[in-house]
Amino acid sequence: MTRSRRSTLPSDPGSFRAFAGRAFDPAAIPGKPEALAGIRVLEVATRIFGPATADYLGLFGAEVIKVEMPPRGDLMRYVAPEGFFWKEVSPAFLPLNRNKLHVGLDLHPVEGKELFLRLAERSDVVVENLRAGTMDAWGVGYLQLRERNPRIVYAANSGFGQWGRYSAGRASYDATAQAVSGFSAVTGFPDQPPMKAGFWVGDYTAALMSATAILAALAARRKSGEGQMIDLSQAEAMIRTLDWTWPYAGLTGKDRARNGNVDPSYPPSGIYRCRDGFVSVSARDEDEMIPLAHAVGATDPEEASIATPERVGAFCASRRVDEVVRISEGAGFSAAPVRGGRDHYHDPHLRARGTVCSVDDPLYGRVDEYGPAPKLSESPGRVKWSAKPVGWHNERVFGGLLGMTAGEMEALAGKKVIGKWADLPGARPPIGSAP
Amino acid sequence: MSGFAGWVREATEPSAAAGKPEALEGIRVIEFCPGHFGGMVAASVLAEFGAETVKVEPPGGDPLRLVAPEEIRVAGTGLPFLSEARNRRFVTLDVDDSAGRDVFRRLALSSDVIVTTESPERMEAMGCDYPSLREERPGIVYLSLSTYGAFGPDASRPVRDSDILCQALSGAPYIVGEPEGVPPRPHEAPTRLGNWHGAFVQGLWGAYGVLAALHFRAETGKGQAVDLSGAEALMMFADYNITWMHTGGKARERVGNFDPAVFPYTYIRCRDGYTFIAAYNDEAFDSLMHIIGRPELSRDPRFSTPKNRVVLENERALLEIIEEWSGDRTADEILVAVEAYTSKRGGPGAAVVTGRVNRPLETLGEENWRERGCFVRSADPVYGELLLAAPPWKMSGTPARWKSGCRPPGSDNRDVYLEILGMTEEEYRLLAEAGTF
Repeated sequence: MTRSRRSTLPSDPGSFRAFAGRAFDPAAIPGKPEALAGIRVLEVATRIFGPATADYLGLFGAEVIKVEMPPRGDLMRYVAPEGFFWKEVSPAFLPLNRNKLHVGLDLHPVEGKELFLRLAERSDVVVENLRAGTMDAWGVGYLQLRERNPRIVYAANSGFGQWGRYSAGRASYDATAQAVSGFSAVTGFPDQPPMKAGFWVGDYTAALMSATAILAALAARRKSGEGQMIDLSQAEAMIRTLDWTWPYAGLTGKDRARNGNVDPSYPPSGIYRCRDGFVSVSARDEDEMIPLAHAVGATDPEEASIATPERVGAFCASRRVDEVVRISEGAGFSAAPVRGGRDHYHDPHLRARGTVCSVDDPLYGRVDEYGPAPKLSESPGRVKWSAKPVGWHNERVFGGLLGMTAGEMEALAGKKVIGKWADLPGARPPIGSAP
Repeated sequence: MSGFAGWVREATEPSAAAGKPEALEGIRVIEFCPGHFGGMVAASVLAEFGAETVKVEPPGGDPLRLVAPEEIRVAGTGLPFLSEARNRRFVTLDVDDSAGRDVFRRLALSSDVIVTTESPERMEAMGCDYPSLREERPGIVYLSLSTYGAFGPDASRPVRDSDILCQALSGAPYIVGEPEGVPPRPHEAPTRLGNWHGAFVQGLWGAYGVLAALHFRAETGKGQAVDLSGAEALMMFADYNITWMHTGGKARERVGNFDPAVFPYTYIRCRDGYTFIAAYNDEAFDSLMHIIGRPELSRDPRFSTPKNRVVLENERALLEIIEEWSGDRTADEILVAVEAYTSKRGGPGAAVVTGRVNRPLETLGEENWRERGCFVRSADPVYGELLLAAPPWKMSGTPARWKSGCRPPGSDNRDVYLEILGMTEEEYRLLAEAGTF
């Protein structure tokens, strides 16, 4: 079989790079249109799975109305690393809730349901992540919504799906999906317990799948004129990501092993300890394996098998990360440092790409965030503003969008149908800034 | 099954998907991603939603077919390729040859979406970079996947993109695994996600970028280029790394199966392995302490507030207490105990969450997934019967679906080159004889 090669063809150096530098320039983003402009999304969700789904749509220009139960709102507001709140907001809440309009609306009373239905009439998408069937039981599920708006695309995010023996009443978090899918069983070291990923990967992965299905459903609606229901289980989302785990189990009747830091598909590719940190080393085929073997001490450069994990480990252990990367670039294998949040924050490459970006928020001032990963040349994604306190945009949404008067809003607030923040860190505005 | 659940089941039943329309019908995708799993994922996702997808392999087959953990191959192809080679047609083409480059350009110009993992320089030399294709086809959406992206100070670094490079740069392994002891043991290191999660998420964000671009095209008629770094794709999942650095000057560090923001939120030992337990808001924590028969601990100053519960030494102490209870119970018994208690409590007090840490065969043994159609068994004259993950989306109108599995390299040459490109039999024969495909 043919193997792909490194730069085998002559090229006019740099003309695409020059195009890319212009076409993706982060400084030009504010003047460009947004891909999902005109799409309105209602979010009825807490914590991560649903909020991240809506966040991904909002990054590309959808108008997201985040509906929270007043006055405490989304319980993610109170998830704070080491209990740390900044200007009364948790840094863990911010990255999930960019570009949103925050309303406080209780869906339990009849007036609350009716307000929600009126919002749904004017919306394109609903994202929810309550336990299966909860919205239906409240009278604001897909079947009730489509009566009022047949064009609605309704994404029901849950742990185990809307039907089936595990669906009824069973709650789920990120790590439920990591656990039950088999993901954790294949992560970690063979002589150690299964490892839970230290970030909420079971939520984000499923959220991105949910957002992807929503865009597919909007494409379908363009042709049919009709919305639809999307049922996505986060456990099933994680099952889909496990590449050769399933055909391996099917053919051998065995569990794929936890393989530590060496990729069993591309040994000795993996993560290795250096004198001053950790590095990833990668060799996809012989074109990279032979230079790697040579670099780690093979006397016969054709003898690729000498690049064992032990050899690569010893080679890295006596060197600095940047030395290994430099050697790889000269020799013809691949390497990259293992980076963390502190590295990202100070990385000029990520800053130049807008992947780490600053937003100048009217309430909080400068907030730095991860920006959108896919860079679109004509209709790029962007962070326009940060998360806000519970009910921050009530007037804009209930007044501006639904045309309610101040008196009507006051009456509903008096009945606690709509509301604003509790006087708690996580829910309320920065001290001294409240209107 | 209640009324609503019954309705959803009937409306989204995967086995009934085949007769329904597809969301991306009429969209043609060309996948040119030799040796690259993330590119396959991007194309697969679009194909699962109904895009007509053509994979271009070098004559003789894609290098990724050779990748075979434990040397397991079926008819010469390894399991990673087989797991993702769905819903597409397989053509071969020698793009190092000028006739082959011409065919590739014709193919590209007949399509709506290009997915490539080849370097911009190589695509440029082939006359198939984005600026030259859009001259003739302004609506084209051009997704390019790489490690560092197509612009920025590190864009020209000479790496061959792979899952491990993207994972390492993403910040994910940095916060997965055990912290280093003195001296560090081998497993006390940033830990790779065991699957190709970096490549998978790269493909998924790629498909998402393409769909956003297609939405924009439908509104405006304009195509565009989509540049995606696999490192950045997974980076977007790295929680609050940047906001915490910015607001508190702190970076996430590895804490094993503990968590700096929520606890309990960990795996606990049980009689038959490990299970997940979470109960981190105050009401849920109180529920859990009742479940394990230690209600007084809700008032223990080490555990009485979320902030105190996430102090690492308190997390360790609490884990020990919970495992005293869980150690002689099975994961299923723990689930029953949790559900029995939380079903009587609504609101935040019900947020006690559990789920067994399954080995893959245990997942496969659970009837729930079979019932919901999460797995398919493909059957093929060349590749035999294979167990594969089905598309995870259940949709009432235009369901995603599994349609076909892997085929040998070049299986669809005739159909694609004659039907899509309109080659004559004579032209096809001459190119085939010349080894162009």
